[in-house]
Amino acid sequence: MSFYETLYIIDPNLENRTLEKTMNEIGKELEKTKSKIINHRVWGKKRLAYPIERQKYGSYVIIQFEGGDQGEMIDFDTWMKLNNSVLRHMTVLLDEKPETYLEEKKPDLENEEKESIESETEDKPIVNETVATKSEPEHEVEESIDQDKSPSEDENLEPKEVE
Amino acid sequence: MAFQNRNKFCYFKENGINKIDYKDVKLLRRFVNDQGKIMPRRVTGTSAKMHRKLVRAIKRSRSIALLPYVERGIDK
Repeated sequence: MSFYETLYIIDPNLENRTLEKTMNEIGKELEKTKSKIINHRVWGKKRLAYPIERQKYGSYVIIQFEGGDQGEMIDFDTWMKLNNSVLRHMTVLLDEKPETYLEEKKPDLENEEKESIESETEDKPIVNETVATKSEPEHEVEESIDQDKSPSEDENLEPKEVE
Repeated sequence: MAFQNRNKFCYFKENGINKIDYKDVKLLRRFVNDQGKIMPRRVTGTSAKMHRKLVRAIKRSRSIALLPYVERGIDK
């Protein structure tokens, strides 16, 4: 059996509940094709490279599955096209079995930033006492700022719409 | 002649990569210019085999809005 991966974009303005609901709907629809879902997870909210249906952002969701009935998978594709909450979707053939995704505990960026800033401010009164401890939090702050900046830089570029 | 091969090597061969994921935008960005065009092999030095895979990955990620089809330069 061949393995597939479907990546789809959902309207980012949906609440978490409705997002889960639509994800469940899509999962059920996919199961109708007798395919086995291996992974179904939210990849995250990302800035779109170009606006789709006037949306600048989109929540990306990945499904990896073992292919079922070919004819019904075409039906699934058309169903996804007609689904209004899905901005865009794409199914790709994988060349090997995907690994089951284990949820990683991602440290909240905001909290990390706050902590690092706090630690920096705490260090400030004791200036020059320990160079090593001071330089470390600074690096952290720089990195987190870089991550925050990169999408905003793209914002200014205003990618053209292509038909 | 001495400068012929300067700075030219296949990024993927050098790093032992033989699969390119269309979701890896950070990697793909290296092979696209500021207008969003795919850089030619004669510039990037990518091997023919990997360039074919690279092109497919870039086109896929364009269609799912991870990479732009067209992007304005920095000047405008």
